[in-house]
Amino acid sequence: MEVLHHQFPANDFALLAIVLLLPAIGAFVNGIFGKRLGKSAVRLMALSAIGGAFLASLLTFLLLPHDGGRLSWLAWRWMSVNGQSGNLVPIDVKFSVDAMSATMMLVVTGVGFLIHLYSSEYMKDDPGYHRFFCYLNLFCFAMLVLITADNLPVLFVGWEGVGMCSYLLIGFWFGEEKNASAGKKAFIVNRIGDFGLIVAMCLLIYYCGNLSWDGIEKTSLGLLTPVKVWPIGNLSRETLPSFLGAILIPDKPVQVYAATLVALALFLGCAGKSAQIPLYVWLPDAMAGPTPVSALIHAATMVTAGVYLVARMHMVFVLSPAAMAVVAVIGVCTALLAASIGLFQHDLKKVLAYSTVSQLGFMFIGVGVGAFAAGFFHVFTHAFFKACLFLGAGSVIHAMHARIHDTDKSQDMRNMGGLKRYMPITRWTFFISCCSIAGLPLTAGFWSKDEILWSAFSAHVANPAAAVTARMAPYEWPSWLGQAIYWGAVLAATMTSFYMFRAYFMTFHGPFRGWTIVRGWKDPHAGHGHDDHGHDHDREESDKPLEGPEPHESPLPMTIPLVVLAAFAAFAGFLNAHPIHIAPLGHLLEPVFEGAGRFITEREGAKGMMWTMMAPGFAAFLAGTAAAMYVYLNRAGQPERQFAARAGWFYRLVYDKWRIDELYDATVVGMVDALADIFTMADKWLIDGVLARLTALLTALIGTLLRTLQTGRVQVYAAVMLVGLAGVGWFMAVPHAEVAMDDTSLRATGEVKLSAAPGYGYTFRWDGLAATDSQLTDRASVVVRLAPGEKKDVKVSVKNAFGLESVETVSLTRPGLPPGAKAPEAPRVPGMVRPDIPTGEIPADEIHKLLLPRGADQAGEKGEQK
Amino acid sequence: MSTVPVEYFLIVAAVLFVIGAVGFLLRRNLLVLLMSIELMLNSVNLTLVAYNRIHAANHAGQNLAFFVIAVAAAEAAVGLAIVLAFFRVRKTIHSDEANLLKN
Repeated sequence: MEVLHHQFPANDFALLAIVLLLPAIGAFVNGIFGKRLGKSAVRLMALSAIGGAFLASLLTFLLLPHDGGRLSWLAWRWMSVNGQSGNLVPIDVKFSVDAMSATMMLVVTGVGFLIHLYSSEYMKDDPGYHRFFCYLNLFCFAMLVLITADNLPVLFVGWEGVGMCSYLLIGFWFGEEKNASAGKKAFIVNRIGDFGLIVAMCLLIYYCGNLSWDGIEKTSLGLLTPVKVWPIGNLSRETLPSFLGAILIPDKPVQVYAATLVALALFLGCAGKSAQIPLYVWLPDAMAGPTPVSALIHAATMVTAGVYLVARMHMVFVLSPAAMAVVAVIGVCTALLAASIGLFQHDLKKVLAYSTVSQLGFMFIGVGVGAFAAGFFHVFTHAFFKACLFLGAGSVIHAMHARIHDTDKSQDMRNMGGLKRYMPITRWTFFISCCSIAGLPLTAGFWSKDEILWSAFSAHVANPAAAVTARMAPYEWPSWLGQAIYWGAVLAATMTSFYMFRAYFMTFHGPFRGWTIVRGWKDPHAGHGHDDHGHDHDREESDKPLEGPEPHESPLPMTIPLVVLAAFAAFAGFLNAHPIHIAPLGHLLEPVFEGAGRFITEREGAKGMMWTMMAPGFAAFLAGTAAAMYVYLNRAGQPERQFAARAGWFYRLVYDKWRIDELYDATVVGMVDALADIFTMADKWLIDGVLARLTALLTALIGTLLRTLQTGRVQVYAAVMLVGLAGVGWFMAVPHAEVAMDDTSLRATGEVKLSAAPGYGYTFRWDGLAATDSQLTDRASVVVRLAPGEKKDVKVSVKNAFGLESVETVSLTRPGLPPGAKAPEAPRVPGMVRPDIPTGEIPADEIHKLLLPRGADQAGEKGEQK
Repeated sequence: MSTVPVEYFLIVAAVLFVIGAVGFLLRRNLLVLLMSIELMLNSVNLTLVAYNRIHAANHAGQNLAFFVIAVAAAEAAVGLAIVLAFFRVRKTIHSDEANLLKN
């Protein structure tokens, strides 16, 4: 340990390079050589890369300083930008870890390793095996960059990297239109969020002059600058129709703290990446990717990056209670909305996807009410139980594929049921994770969710620092908001336990309904005259196999990750179980969020209610689970069908995800489409029509004209050459009188220098000059002197050797002086640069200013004012 | 001893050049065209050496004349080869018949 501390000092912690580079190398090797290496080599490369990264992360975690400091490693200096008043803001490729990022690193590499292991079996028969592992390793690399970044721009590199890998993996089976467009949707929706992140970076450069975590924390008080903002760009009321302007645009600009702007811009980025309202729509569609990808990227790691970023930027968020309120309210709304959609979905992966969105909402509730450690802890536990659930779902789908090779049908829970007989390991791990996410006491999900609920109920978010600067009253949370969030979250938790156990019972209990989905299967009761097949048994008895293969338990590389993850889903909660005072992870995270602590206090009247307020959370678990058990285990889904029949429109509305996608299509997407149509028209008619076609037409026309000259007869060409030669000869034989005029000193002295263009055998005569005679001389230039206000015409005659003559007349004028003024004679001080004298007339009383050195007059005026 | 003035040479050269040019433009026999080119080149040569008489110390004019002779020889060789090849294809040396690339 001592040796390692010596080898890797905290300020030059090169071990991070190993953590980062191993997955990058894995991605490179698999991407470039994977096809030739073969599947076993690809598997070895990918697994050893991520496994090595996990070991290095573990070592990093152990080497963390105990006093809450961070380990940092500067890879290279990248660039610097100009901040406010010309300060240089350095942007370095620098990485650092503290307790939070080290924990996250362990999750990413650890869960990542398990999912790699799982995928090596799950994707065994896929022709794109090497491509899959290349993307997966690349994703781990980008995610690690995101986590270990020491400043926002480097984080942004990782942020975009995971977005790209997510795009590549959602559209991994790009042969189907649906998958490719799901990938596109994820990418485009994320771009909207990234815009917010870029804006936040620019604002931080301006207000803080810093982009690294430490730097922002030190200079965060700069964010308490009040800023005036017009809500919609710089539109004024006059530019909009009056009825719109009155609604949308207030009389005066809104005054907010810069911290609010930065925090909201950051949160836009987080909402995109972490699938919050209004940008959550991409995540359910992202399930088009392979199931291990859904587990790793769209459940365990990437989508929690938004929560991570909010927790990372806590020093900005705590300065703005308003932004915190937005985060928490969006979080609870997302949790409720997604949970409600999850209630009636039939696709197993869709249920899990909406559950993920809902759980992300919980995390944002946590960070939104200032319980950063609690929010982050939910990220931690969610990674285990949700990854386990997804991998379990993948295992189920794998089993269902034994019956049918159809993506939709093999994921439809109506075709499952009774699988506990065939796949016990998957069933038990799925069950444990279900308990965990639903909040069975003592499981991981219980502890993390309960802490978030308690924080929402008890936290009081205030901004004492703003009160100190006293420039503007900060936003105060209304007293009911925390409790409203709490009850909303309890409702969402109830729905969570209901739909999770609905999924569990529909999948693993009851009769296996999958026999009917095999191609060629005929309902023995439907046919009239097909009865002589001899299949005489009842539909209720269809538990017995008819024909074809049975579903089966998955092989070992798929079940090991399930078991490990289920173990963590059950017991990881004890790392941060505050109510029973066992919280090693909590203590580790304490120094990270120390600065935020003084902004978040316990609300009046919440004292001592911790155990009491645990009851609604537990009741939510009991109610949801019991309801699911009654409906789907005891009554085999009968009540749901009855409900669907009775309130069909409502059932369909929820099943169609509240038609939010359709709403977006009709509004935002429709607007963008219309805009695109306009641009298409412009492209078609203006660019293609006018610019391209017309140019081509013109060229063709000129070509047709010129083609007539191309006769192909040598003599015609020779004749044209001869005509050209004659033209050149004529030009040579005729004199050309051209005069260049140099009037730089016209204003000062009245002198103008005239020079005629020279030529062979030229002689010149200058007429109109009193001093010169009118003989031909070889004087090519003369100086003419003019009195103020005088006008003069000078005629130049040029004669060449052939005796031909050419004439040009130049008229010269010197501007006059204002009446009564004397000609300004600049005093000639040696070494003094003459000031630029503007052309035109100068009032006499300002002339003296021109003679002073530049700036002297202004200084003098200022002095007088003082 | 009186010498012939430079102008006389120039006039002769100009007359030669015009004969060559007119011949090139008006005749259609490829061999005659080649001869016309020769005529024009030699008129230029004559101009060059005539001017060289004025600047006797400077031999640029004469040097240039040698260059022109060398180029003319090469040109004649290539030209005759082309004419020969053309004759083999079209069985004529009439320049208006050289229209294989047209249309």
